[in-house]
Amino acid sequence: MYKISQHLAWLSIWRRKTRSLMVIMMIALSLSGLLGLQGLYDGMISHLINTTIRSDSGEISLYAKEYRLNKSLDYRLSPLSKFQDAFSKIEAITSYSVRLEKEGLIATAHKSLGATLKGISLENEQHFGQLDAFITKGDYSFGKGNKKALIGSSLAKKFHLTIGSRVIFTAQDVTGEINAISFRISGILKTGNPSIDDNSVFVSMEKMSKFLNLQQSATQIALRVKDPDSIGIVQKELQTVFPDVDVLCWDELYPLLIQMQEWMNIFNLASYAIVFIVAALGIFGVMLVSVLERMREFSIMLAIGTPYKTVRNQIITEASFLGFIGFIAGAFLGWIFLLYMSTAGVDMRSFEAGLELYGYSAVMYANMHLYYFFQAFFAVFFATLLSVIWPLRKLKKIKPIQVIQGKML
Amino acid sequence: MKLNHVYKTFYPDSPKEVKALTDINLTFEKGEFTTLSGESGSGKTTLLNIIGGLDSATSGQIFFEEEEISAYSEEKMAKLRLHDIGFIFQAYNLIHVLTVRENIGFIMKLLKFDEKEIDDRIMELASILQIEDLLDKLPGEISGGQQQRVAVARAVASRPKLILADEPTANLDSKNSERLMNMLRTLNEKEHVTVIFASHDKYVLEQSKRIIVLDDGVVIEDR
Repeated sequence: MYKISQHLAWLSIWRRKTRSLMVIMMIALSLSGLLGLQGLYDGMISHLINTTIRSDSGEISLYAKEYRLNKSLDYRLSPLSKFQDAFSKIEAITSYSVRLEKEGLIATAHKSLGATLKGISLENEQHFGQLDAFITKGDYSFGKGNKKALIGSSLAKKFHLTIGSRVIFTAQDVTGEINAISFRISGILKTGNPSIDDNSVFVSMEKMSKFLNLQQSATQIALRVKDPDSIGIVQKELQTVFPDVDVLCWDELYPLLIQMQEWMNIFNLASYAIVFIVAALGIFGVMLVSVLERMREFSIMLAIGTPYKTVRNQIITEASFLGFIGFIAGAFLGWIFLLYMSTAGVDMRSFEAGLELYGYSAVMYANMHLYYFFQAFFAVFFATLLSVIWPLRKLKKIKPIQVIQGKML
Repeated sequence: MKLNHVYKTFYPDSPKEVKALTDINLTFEKGEFTTLSGESGSGKTTLLNIIGGLDSATSGQIFFEEEEISAYSEEKMAKLRLHDIGFIFQAYNLIHVLTVRENIGFIMKLLKFDEKEIDDRIMELASILQIEDLLDKLPGEISGGQQQRVAVARAVASRPKLILADEPTANLDSKNSERLMNMLRTLNEKEHVTVIFASHDKYVLEQSKRIIVLDDGVVIEDR
């Protein structure tokens, strides 16, 4: 008997091409929108994490105990060679960046503000997190004799600094003496990480060490780890080797970011749920109408003696087939959509100020994962199933002759 | 087929209550060619639907081949309709996604007839009803008269014991009405199929061997 149901379902789909095409298109469009939104939301969050990891924390950062509470140079990592030896023995560590930072006062002829001066190696940072990719103006260079500096975009804006502008940085060295050093700006960085963009000036490690009267020392060593699953293992291993050092993951270093992310996740989840419900209702509605509008046809079949289960199987087969084709078309459309958004990005420059406030980039890139498509498949399956349950229950209850005579529906 | 004290009330115990049939007692013998007649609203279609198991009686007993069918479940009743009863509706009620050929063979397919037997029967009926050229067309592509002939072919294809026809000539011109009645009469005579009409068409009444007249849900004449 199922063969007849299958045959009827197929004929119904094939001989009502426009209706079938409309149902498939509706499912495909809803689904591609759903996939696009999911990828974009995921992309926004990943971008935020990625930027933070690349520009500052790495997956893991090492600090001398107490340093994060009292940013004194007394709490520093030294000698560097013992750390470098340990890192070389851990295969999961792909790169690391040694940084020496000091809070102080940055000043121009017109203005002065608190800021952080960071000594880095440009070559290391390039390898570590492609810091050069964040340059928006000028060069990724400290110039001849390391006399120049890179500055965060927001900080540069506050001082109206451009390439070539001179700044003076004043801070206490390791002995407590107040020293001052002047730089010309060689490049402006925009990372999307507010702690860098609003507050940081980068100079060469050599210059910084000399300025602070320190050798072979760092305030932070940031590490990149091969894959996210090994972060915990590496953290544990380093903590065992260096029990007197704080070994912290990126999410421990940025609790505010995590909190913000959690809020965004809730917001994203709510938006995603709304879109999911709208898409599911769309699919449900189209399927429901396509069954209800043929109640008379099904009633005729029942009236002439067709068993209910034959009609039921026909409706389920038809809805499942349309749902599946709709899913294939929607997944393909969604894939193209995601591919475009993950490579070309979505330009949101008109909302730049608001997005930057939360650390989001003005050009958003979508993520693409296989599990989106599995989730989408279950969404379509669920909506399709739901859309036939109610009409089937109705069909089981009605008297076919009443529908045929137009007394019902 | 036998009906004992059959009553049908729509919307019972409500202000809208309508007594459609009152104390119907009728017997239909095998091979009858009978018409249920009466004015609109007299209850003839309701009675036809109850005989065919498309509607249930409020009270009373209905027997088909000595077996009481009034208490049948919907599933059992569908089985009875599929195996033993053929329906011809006023509005043809063909399945629009199926071709004429598929519509005629639909019930036979459900009854798992052999493919060859189905094809032979379709050709035989198509020839009798002069619809051979229409077999591969969809119902929407043929005229009302042609659709009614297809509906007749579908109703008789599986050789049911009983054919119920509700106002079969209502949408047909005199020529098509004559053709339809001749065909049903031939089937009745050749295959001894019992045919019951619900109609007030004069031509149908003239052709009938027995006429049962209903008025306000009551049988007032049986001749």
